[in-house]
Amino acid sequence: MYAGIDAGSRAIKVVLIGEDGPGVVAQGQVDQGVEQDKIACRLLEEVLAQTGVDRSQVCRIVATGYGRNAVSIADTTITEITCHAVGVRQLVPAAMTVIDIGGQDSKLMRLDTNGRVRDFAMNDRCAAGTGRFLEVVADRLGLSLGDLGPMAARSRNPAVISSMCVVFAETEITGLLAAGRACEDIVAGVQTAIAARIVAMAGRNIEAPVIFTGGVARISGMETALQTALGRPIAPAPEPQMTGALGAALLARRQRGSD
Amino acid sequence: MSETPRQIALREWDDAYERLRAAGVPQPAYGGPLGRHVAEGDTRLRKLRFDNSLAALRLWDFLLTEEDRLQLARDAGKKLVGTMKDLGTVPVMASSLDNLVAFYPDGAWWIPCVMEVNSGLLQIADSLGIDESFCPVRAMLGAFVTGAHFPIPDLLTCSVGATCDDFSAIAQRLNGLGYPILWWEIPHRRVPEDNEGGVQLPGGFRAPASLVRFVRSELERIRLALEKLSGRVIDEGTLSRGIAKANHIRRLLAELRQAAFTATPCPIPALEMLIAEMLAIHFCSDQEETIAVLQDLLDEVNRRVAAGTGYGTADTARMFWVDPVADLQVMNLLEDCGGRICGTEYLFAHALDPIPTDVPPMEALARMALADPMVGSATDRAARIKAEIRRFGAEAVIVSRIPGASHCALEGEIIGEIVRAECGLPVLEIEVPPLTDAVSPSLRTRLEALVETVVNRRSR
Repeated sequence: MYAGIDAGSRAIKVVLIGEDGPGVVAQGQVDQGVEQDKIACRLLEEVLAQTGVDRSQVCRIVATGYGRNAVSIADTTITEITCHAVGVRQLVPAAMTVIDIGGQDSKLMRLDTNGRVRDFAMNDRCAAGTGRFLEVVADRLGLSLGDLGPMAARSRNPAVISSMCVVFAETEITGLLAAGRACEDIVAGVQTAIAARIVAMAGRNIEAPVIFTGGVARISGMETALQTALGRPIAPAPEPQMTGALGAALLARRQRGSD
Repeated sequence: MSETPRQIALREWDDAYERLRAAGVPQPAYGGPLGRHVAEGDTRLRKLRFDNSLAALRLWDFLLTEEDRLQLARDAGKKLVGTMKDLGTVPVMASSLDNLVAFYPDGAWWIPCVMEVNSGLLQIADSLGIDESFCPVRAMLGAFVTGAHFPIPDLLTCSVGATCDDFSAIAQRLNGLGYPILWWEIPHRRVPEDNEGGVQLPGGFRAPASLVRFVRSELERIRLALEKLSGRVIDEGTLSRGIAKANHIRRLLAELRQAAFTATPCPIPALEMLIAEMLAIHFCSDQEETIAVLQDLLDEVNRRVAAGTGYGTADTARMFWVDPVADLQVMNLLEDCGGRICGTEYLFAHALDPIPTDVPPMEALARMALADPMVGSATDRAARIKAEIRRFGAEAVIVSRIPGASHCALEGEIIGEIVRAECGLPVLEIEVPPLTDAVSPSLRTRLEALVETVVNRRSR
């Protein structure tokens, strides 16, 4: 068995795979916390317990994500950029571009025909273009993250959010609410603003197929906003929040015998 | 010392220094344990890792004692010339007279890093209306106000025009505070039109003859001011000797760069190479000692190359670095993440080229000044970077933006796009503030990801 642990900013994910084959043996996810090493260990134990696999049967563990260096049970660490690319390519072999929007950063990876990262861009200088932006908006509007997609879908006239800074955007939202703009227009406007940020980061030459991954890919409406901004179809990865951990597990398997 | 090259912390260096001293190993007059600089406020040194060679110790001691050197020069009756913004031209003129000492007040941009923002210089700049929307070189304003980091120079010169908008605004503010500045203008470099006479510049560029004439006339004004300050004439022979000395330094740096960027394993860390390359523009207030320091470093590097020792392995990812970092610690991070330096363009590539010696010296300096990367287009910079990437065999490019620096914001993206398209290499853009502690995990992720990308691309 091989395990991949993705210690992201919002959640820790674990994927367990076998010696061969593409299938996932087991997986799990839990909210991130202060003691992320303990949380990751506990989650791995829970995932192992689901399958009846003993810890000693796990040959190698790769940790990824922003908290990867805190995961003491990992044999090695690999960045989320490489892991997401490997995970996505496993699920969508034709993928040439990966857009990953997580809780605190966003990334775009260009792949070569063999599925290796050719180049990447990453935004984490501010919360614009990340899941945090959506959280702030949801809080401000008294909504849950799950409400955002259906609400944005009802919009017929998305608001223009001109600021790329979350703090200023929140001020803009206050102004829009005061002006009587509907919540659905504001949410749709925010999704459009995030998509615009990603497109600006991506630059030119986005090669299809484009696969959308990371926790934000689960929020409906974001895929459409990105498609519109990029001017080309985008497909969300199956279980997009798990691709980093899956990639880490696959890389752990590739490294077998490396110690 | 003939130890295996490795990066050591400050405490280890201080222990090693005591052993060297006890063994009677000769030290320059400015030598001593690096730890003494921490007592003077340079607390960032505690977080850096230094090359363990004696040559590197000398380099660091030389860098960190410039203020003492300037004060000694003044005490000896020499006149001090602050050569602002100009990257490598006026210091050559001033240094040709032995009763003038040129230095580079802009070097204060590293004080917020080295003193971990405890110097208060940025706060002074804030209070003068030069806030964080400007480049960290605004710390220079605070250094003038406090007088605590370099003696106030007897003459201040500053190049303006096509160089840097941020710096012009900062220098104007300084002028407004009562520090008179002798401004000299440098125009934007452009390609000559068909009906214009063209002049070949160092670095492979060309410019209209009229631009070179204009810059030469501006430099003539500087020459007169230097002569007045010195009480001596800067004739062609004097200036030619000054140019010869500058060219000696440039030759040493060219050899050092060739060895450092091409040898495997890498014979010198990225941080020491950055400090060494910076000597090309300001000589750390002493040309003769710069030559000695660089010769020492080159000898050490050549010894390591011959012995096949250094940092990393043949597999270490080869990175080309664009723009200097505001936090020195980031250069350590490159090696931590599995990379090595393999070419640089720190915005003063022209100061690494030989100054022409086949034309009159003032003409040569004018041509050299016009070859400054900052007075040309981003496309020109990219052309030079591409050539160096190919020359040194770099596998990826890191463009490190300086927060608030307007040219970095504009040029990084253009350079990145050109390099991606024409060299087919991955390009990483990062922003490096004076202290990166808070963003260190994110910087590490990016650099590690770039190293992974380079390694994975090799197996295609």
